[in-house]
Amino acid sequence: MKCETFMNSIITNKNVMNKTIKFLKIIMVLIASVAITSCVQDDDYTVPNSLGEEENEGLQTILTGLDNNTLIPISIGELKDIYTTYENAQTGFDYDKFLQITSNIVVKGYVSSSDETGNFYKEFYIQDSPENPTAAIGVILNQADSYNQFNKGREVYIRLMDMYIGQTSSDIIAIGGKPNDDEVGQFTGNQIPQQLFRSNVTEAITALELNMTDINSSHIGMFVKINNTEFPTNLQGQPYGDSSEDFDTQRTVQACEGFEYSNFILETSSFANFYNVPLPTQNGGSISGIITQSFGGDDLVMALNSLNDVQFTNERCSLLNIEDFTNIFEEDFEGMTNNSAVSGNGWTNYAEEGGFTWRVTTSSDNQNSGSKIASMGAFNSNDNVNIAWLITPAINFDTLSNELLSFRSSNSFSDNSELELLISTDWDGTEAGVTTANWSSLPGNIVGDNEFYQNWVSSGSIDLSGYSGMGYVAFKYIGGDNSNNEDGTYEIDNFTVLGL
Amino acid sequence: MQALNHILFNVKRLLTLKLVMKKSLIVLLFGVFSSFTIVAQNTIIKGSVKDAISFQTISNVTITIEGTEQTTLTDILGEFVFSSNVPLGEQVLRISKIGYETKRYPIVVNEGQTVNITDMTLDRGITENQDLFTISLSDDELNDDTSGADNISGLLSSSLDVFQRTAAFEFSSSFFRLRGLDSDNSSVLINGIEMNKLYNGRPQWSNWGGLNDMMRNQVLTSGLTPSEYTFGGVLGTSNIITRASKYRKGSRITYSSSNRSYTNRALASYASGLVEGGWSYAFMMGRRWGNEGYQDATLYDSNSFFASVEKKINDKHSINFTSIYAQNRRGKSSANTQEVYDLKGIKYNEFWGNLDGEKRNSRIKEVEEPIIMLNHYWDISSKTSLNTNIGYQFGKIGNSRLDYPGGRNPSPSYYQDLPSNFLEDGDLEGAYEAEQQFINDGQINWERIIDANLTNNLSGANAAYVLYEDRNDDKQLTLNTIFNTEINENVILNGGINYKKLDSENFAEIIDLLGSTTGVLNIDYFNQNQFDLNNPNQVALEGDKFRYNYNLYVNELSGFAQAQFKYNKIDFYLSGSIKKTDYQREGLYKNENQVFSEGGVELDNSFGKGDKLEFTGVGAKAGLTYKFTGKHLLNINGGYITKAPSIRNTYTNSRESQDYVGKINGVNNPNIDITEEKITSVDASYIFRSSIVKAKLTGFYTTIEDANEISFFFTQGSTTGFIQEVLSGVDKKHFGGELGIEAQVTPTIKLKGAASVGQYTYDNNPDLYVTSTSEDFINTQGGDIINTSGVVSTSNLKNYKIAGGPQTAYSVGFEYRDPDYWWFGATANFFDNTYVDVSPLSRSNEFYTDADGLPYNDYDPVVARGLLKQEKFDNYMVINLVGGKSWKIGDKYIGFFASVGNLLDKQYKTGGYEQGRRADYRALRDDVSLTKRVFGPKYWYGRGTNYFVNVYLRF
Repeated sequence: MKCETFMNSIITNKNVMNKTIKFLKIIMVLIASVAITSCVQDDDYTVPNSLGEEENEGLQTILTGLDNNTLIPISIGELKDIYTTYENAQTGFDYDKFLQITSNIVVKGYVSSSDETGNFYKEFYIQDSPENPTAAIGVILNQADSYNQFNKGREVYIRLMDMYIGQTSSDIIAIGGKPNDDEVGQFTGNQIPQQLFRSNVTEAITALELNMTDINSSHIGMFVKINNTEFPTNLQGQPYGDSSEDFDTQRTVQACEGFEYSNFILETSSFANFYNVPLPTQNGGSISGIITQSFGGDDLVMALNSLNDVQFTNERCSLLNIEDFTNIFEEDFEGMTNNSAVSGNGWTNYAEEGGFTWRVTTSSDNQNSGSKIASMGAFNSNDNVNIAWLITPAINFDTLSNELLSFRSSNSFSDNSELELLISTDWDGTEAGVTTANWSSLPGNIVGDNEFYQNWVSSGSIDLSGYSGMGYVAFKYIGGDNSNNEDGTYEIDNFTVLGL
Repeated sequence: MQALNHILFNVKRLLTLKLVMKKSLIVLLFGVFSSFTIVAQNTIIKGSVKDAISFQTISNVTITIEGTEQTTLTDILGEFVFSSNVPLGEQVLRISKIGYETKRYPIVVNEGQTVNITDMTLDRGITENQDLFTISLSDDELNDDTSGADNISGLLSSSLDVFQRTAAFEFSSSFFRLRGLDSDNSSVLINGIEMNKLYNGRPQWSNWGGLNDMMRNQVLTSGLTPSEYTFGGVLGTSNIITRASKYRKGSRITYSSSNRSYTNRALASYASGLVEGGWSYAFMMGRRWGNEGYQDATLYDSNSFFASVEKKINDKHSINFTSIYAQNRRGKSSANTQEVYDLKGIKYNEFWGNLDGEKRNSRIKEVEEPIIMLNHYWDISSKTSLNTNIGYQFGKIGNSRLDYPGGRNPSPSYYQDLPSNFLEDGDLEGAYEAEQQFINDGQINWERIIDANLTNNLSGANAAYVLYEDRNDDKQLTLNTIFNTEINENVILNGGINYKKLDSENFAEIIDLLGSTTGVLNIDYFNQNQFDLNNPNQVALEGDKFRYNYNLYVNELSGFAQAQFKYNKIDFYLSGSIKKTDYQREGLYKNENQVFSEGGVELDNSFGKGDKLEFTGVGAKAGLTYKFTGKHLLNINGGYITKAPSIRNTYTNSRESQDYVGKINGVNNPNIDITEEKITSVDASYIFRSSIVKAKLTGFYTTIEDANEISFFFTQGSTTGFIQEVLSGVDKKHFGGELGIEAQVTPTIKLKGAASVGQYTYDNNPDLYVTSTSEDFINTQGGDIINTSGVVSTSNLKNYKIAGGPQTAYSVGFEYRDPDYWWFGATANFFDNTYVDVSPLSRSNEFYTDADGLPYNDYDPVVARGLLKQEKFDNYMVINLVGGKSWKIGDKYIGFFASVGNLLDKQYKTGGYEQGRRADYRALRDDVSLTKRVFGPKYWYGRGTNYFVNVYLRF
């Protein structure tokens, strides 16, 4: 009962009793006056308006220090460099994987992770910008549920003097408050309010969109989005967490890349509250999370802040199927004359410099034995420089889609010559125009000098879907019969351009 | 003759000399003053009683012939008469009334003659102070459930027996339990209506706290001795009478100051006495308050109101209406580990923190359960009466606490933050930091809590913390009628029938969102299960129910009958009772934790009405008092009582499930049957009464069979989770002796002594099982959800001591009463054999078996024996002082009273319990071997030096 209620009830009772007893009035007044002065704490909690003033004071000190240069700002990238420089200077394995900071530096960042769901434990990550970050770093601290203080997007300043930077048990570079064996250890409960300061700013973190294959260790700690992903169908009915795993569960996420999937690992802690939620294998879409490493640092993985970051609202992607494709152009050189220059089928065989051009030979390699191939080597050409082009006929990129190029390549006497795979859409078809046309290089796996000469390597499917109109694909051999031994031979076969 | 009597009896000196005067002189005096009548050959004692100062006659004074059961009350003219079975020879008449000093008059009774003692006088004042002392106790810790102990001193405090008074006043602060028994073995009634709560069987003292002036008229029986109002338990009964006509006319204002539980108390009361038209009124208001009691941040905020109106319709019928509204809000205090006490002292309380410069306690207990009663008194004849009562009690009990669905445990003494946790990892630096942090702060960080919620508002995340209340809203109707008739001068018959109906609503309600605008999801944050599948993912805001919601329905129909026989040499009684009880739970939430499935069939164990549980309790008791002489008496009682287990000891996890003892995860276990508790008790007393010395020596032997004990805690070991621990079929044995002795060595000095020596032990190895819905116990293979908890084992509790206060207690002391109305006293009290409450789980197979059910391969029974030895607390001595004075100014009285408890500031443990968190062999062994235990027992300490001061004005 609150004090006012008590007073009211006194008055009510007073009315009731007035008729009967006069002198009770005195008692009433007595008790009432006691009651007025004796209210004890009320059970309604008022919310203070200015919270964490002490903390703001700390922030003000930092901002002032940065203004008058008593404190030095340092970017996350620069901070990480301090540690990598140290680490690179170490030899052997038996060195401390941490470093104590001895300068008055302050790092600022934006929290990219959240432990709200329990998927992170006593750690968070900061990146150097709310969008398009260039560097990120871990912060480890002896505080669970840090999300309700260092929430995602929060601008955070960390005073680093006397603190530690180093590697965690996941081989991630992180900031902490003390050493832990030969690694960096957490900020203690006492250090947190002394070293970690929030501003009032909470930014929306825009996920950095990346392809799976482009993700590397420089992205550790960043909030990253991968589009067009899905879980493999063999995980249907499985939850994010596997109950047979004591700590973390790794699930594959995949993205369609032509005929094959590229893969990445999604790692979920057994303490995550979505541990038992089944994986959404029906659909695909985008998945966003923090790039980090598994325990021990073996794998680069993604860890979710929240299931809301799994936006699987699209159809699953489909791989390309070779049977659905039709040939736009195909060449196996079998119809050409052995031991003569490559000619026919629209090929242009042109030596920009030197005398040797691409020739048809029969392979004796045990991976392609008896097959006719195109081969070019400068050995015994007597030309110091020998540049030989082999150019396809015009390929129309407008009749079909999803054009894919593939071929196989091998070497002989793999000396220091080079082979380039090029494409042009403005070549005029003449030998004279070869050097004046614009050629750009195509990805694609070409046999390396260290490959065994009997082996044939696949180029992989090279995506040409980005080209339109007419185009030409060229192999450009650059070598010479010279003292640098740039005369190694390249061999080409099974050249195919497919379309859908 | 009358005039002479007046003169003589108004000489105060003479009165205070009453016990020292040579007995023969007194006998001579009374012999002289007694009239010798020969109207009839009856032996008669009669007389009258007046107020020593006002010289008004006093009605309702209890006159007792000591050593007999013969008692009568003075009538409206202050007169009384004993006319049957009057004992012959030297007798002592005791005249007593609450508010007056009790007096004893030696008389000589000759056969066929009348002893007439008119105008005996009674003095007010001094003894009045004694019940003030009582008041300070009964307001106190009596049913503070945070202390883990309960206390029956409220029941005993107005007893005239020196042992019981000592137990109430001197032993209670050590949580001494009479005969080692829980207070659910006693019955507290108001106007014949039993007030013990059906939930736990205990009286809820705060329902009428702060109304002491109105609770003073009590009729007590101790042990098995018969009560006119009810069959009662083995610890006796106390019937508080609130009839308006029974209060002494007048007003009273009281102010008290203390550092025990409240700091201030103001009381005002008024009683009209019988006024025109046969009406009587009595009113009272009380307020008790304080920001802090002895323990840190234990606020106290209580307002009490009382009104009673009686109408005497005619000589045969009276109707009385009583309403009691006693609202009480208190800050609770925590039990702590020794590590915490060592760092923060015995006043430390982990439940509070500073906010806006004030101490805010997160755990507040609020009781607000008004009582209204209508009583009809019908004197059918001078020998027969019928008393019919209707009582209705409603309102709420709320216990607040912090929930942290999205934040870390807010407890400042959370084990992870204490030095011991760092020491366990060998982190000395961390331990030092944690120690400094805890010493310098060590309280709840409200600002961080509110900041967390404000931070979560930014992202739309649900509240990290909320303050909620566990609510228990009862509505209880009681109807009863009590019959009393005197068949003849030797035989009195009593009987009654009683019906109780309880509707109890139980739920958790958010009382403060602590800055959050997002609320909390009504889900179990440990495993993301829905608390209410019928309303999934409901967001709970302030004022909303969440977590659990269920009703309990109880019906209880009972009756008793007894006969009391009184003869010259022997009094005896026989009494019997029967009680039918049924319980039913109705779940209002469908709790996903309790939804299992087998073969694709869903089994819900939470929603809707559960099994109706029916119990039949019977009671039979008999006893006799044999009077060798008026000085030497022998009293023997024996009884056998079976009773339904309390609700608390019936439902094993009522917040979530329909389970009760024997029904495990929705399935009845054939080997465990819930049944009535069986209590067998015998006691024998030798009573010695001379005019100087009164003494009573009692031996008792009580067994309790088939009791249940249920507790809840988090455990880790081979299996980890939040568990319900159920002990079923527990047998206990309580035996021992009690001694009370007092001697009025001079007219002003009285020496007192009391002793209780007992042994209270578990007497068998009861069944134990553990239920849990934590992950380790849930098997979800093949689409089925099966709860694997509930495996029954045996807990080897036999011969472990029962926790609950000291099993040995002694007290010696004296009182000095000056004729000038001042007095003081001192006692020294010695306590021993207080034991920690052992963890039954650690005494079961679970202790040494690994997850596969085989013993740990490093199990060493010798080490185990050491680990499982029950901790006995240090013995200790406490010295208490009391004193007071009263004045009469005109027709007003002013009184002053003060007491100092624990004068020497002795630090002592009153109780404690083993934490079940590390309950298995390896975990316990490793914990015990630490320099500082991480999960050592939690203890309660008694108060250091404390005081209570009281002044009153009566007019």
